[in-house]
Amino acid sequence: MAEKHKAAPMVEEVSDFEALEMAVRELAIEKGLFTADDHRRFTEFAHSIGSLPAARLVAKAWLDPEFKKLALEDGVKASLEVGIDWLNPTGFGTPSDYTDLRVLEDTPKVKHVVVCSLCSCYPRPILGHSPEWYRTPNYRRRIVRWPRQVLAEFGLQIPEDVDVRVEDSNQKCRFMVMPMRPEGTEGWTEEQLAEIVTRDCMIGVALPRPDVKANAKRPVHKAIHPVEHH
Amino acid sequence: MSSRNTLKQPKDAPYPDTFDHARFRECMRTPHDVGGEEDVPMQYEEKEEEQWELNTYVTCECLAWRGAWNAEERRRRQNVDMGNSLYLALPYYGRWLLSAARIMVDKQYVTLTELINKMDEVKKRYE
Amino acid sequence: MSKSHHAEKATGKGDPQMFKGEAGPAKFKVGDRVRIKDLPDLFYTRSQVYTRGALGEVAVVTHESPAPEDEAWDNVDKPEWFYIVRFRQKDLWPEYPDAYANDTLQTELSERWLELA
Repeated sequence: MAEKHKAAPMVEEVSDFEALEMAVRELAIEKGLFTADDHRRFTEFAHSIGSLPAARLVAKAWLDPEFKKLALEDGVKASLEVGIDWLNPTGFGTPSDYTDLRVLEDTPKVKHVVVCSLCSCYPRPILGHSPEWYRTPNYRRRIVRWPRQVLAEFGLQIPEDVDVRVEDSNQKCRFMVMPMRPEGTEGWTEEQLAEIVTRDCMIGVALPRPDVKANAKRPVHKAIHPVEHH
Repeated sequence: MSSRNTLKQPKDAPYPDTFDHARFRECMRTPHDVGGEEDVPMQYEEKEEEQWELNTYVTCECLAWRGAWNAEERRRRQNVDMGNSLYLALPYYGRWLLSAARIMVDKQYVTLTELINKMDEVKKRYE
Repeated sequence: MSKSHHAEKATGKGDPQMFKGEAGPAKFKVGDRVRIKDLPDLFYTRSQVYTRGALGEVAVVTHESPAPEDEAWDNVDKPEWFYIVRFRQKDLWPEYPDAYANDTLQTELSERWLELA
């Protein structure tokens, strides 16, 4: 328990990866491939992203049919209304996430779930960083072929009369799920609604519930030298 | 189609006349194309990010931002050129990092000698 | 030691928007029944083996972009149209249960991979 917040010791071992990481970054800066300031700015961007803007997009869509229409037609334009400009921080978007967000609407007939079976493509600017399990070969192998089994492992039993639609995100489009608004949320504000739209709901492996404001608890594999948060 | 990432065979560097089309396809299969392969249920976890992992992600994006490569060049090296064995053997961000190092050498932004010397210099700081 | 000229072309527009208008007319439209070609996998592709030879339907015409097979070597001169193609899971996996006959999977493929069925 005391080890949890241990400060990094003055002299310590570096792993091969840590040594290579420093070597690559220092050389890249020395050779003018990018500047230390670029690295700092993009690091700030990496710290700034999370799932709340996407949750607000869903909540807004639940409350406003016109906004819902916009979100389904033009995800990038709709993102602006929750404070996300997909052109940030470079002026042309992040190199890996591109600028073509598509919002997938769950209906009483169709339940969506997103994967990138080839790697781990994910709509970072609006949804934050992907969870570890999303990046595993295991999830990528199984969700495309046995979606109902994998969703059952996440605690979702999808009825027979609801079709499961897997979105395999393998090119430049990025996807998030707009789940259905649950019962028991009548009269809620946008803020209240956003609280129950978790990251897992927008990947498609969870359904929003009025009493659930966090992703399901999973074991957290600790880091040796974790990121220092601002 | 559900071939795993091992290409076991009785003879190394086999004769071509013993090598049929199916075998050729197996060898050419891109390591990242795992959709539909069989696997067992496992405990899905979250992971605390290492500082070096975050730095690696940012380095890769900065390299693309300022034009050293684009993200697809990265994915090719990171998820396919790595080869079947290393694809599964390495940590996820280990592949990102090695690919960043590789592009710098491949495109002659640094020489391998410079990279090795820098790694050595970095390691010596911690001895 | 050439550098990608990405930033010059894409700033203010984004990627794939920067390639708009470069691929000519789209060959396919929403609703078209298509079959996925089994082109050679030499060195790189983002067209999953599980789609090859399968019958699907064009669900969305998305955007113009260089195909990943080209972009992975920074060859960005010949963009193609991209399409989200929807497959019935039963058409992709032989053992997919009849009970879930309407389950689908959709994924995105560039024009070279599609032919009218």
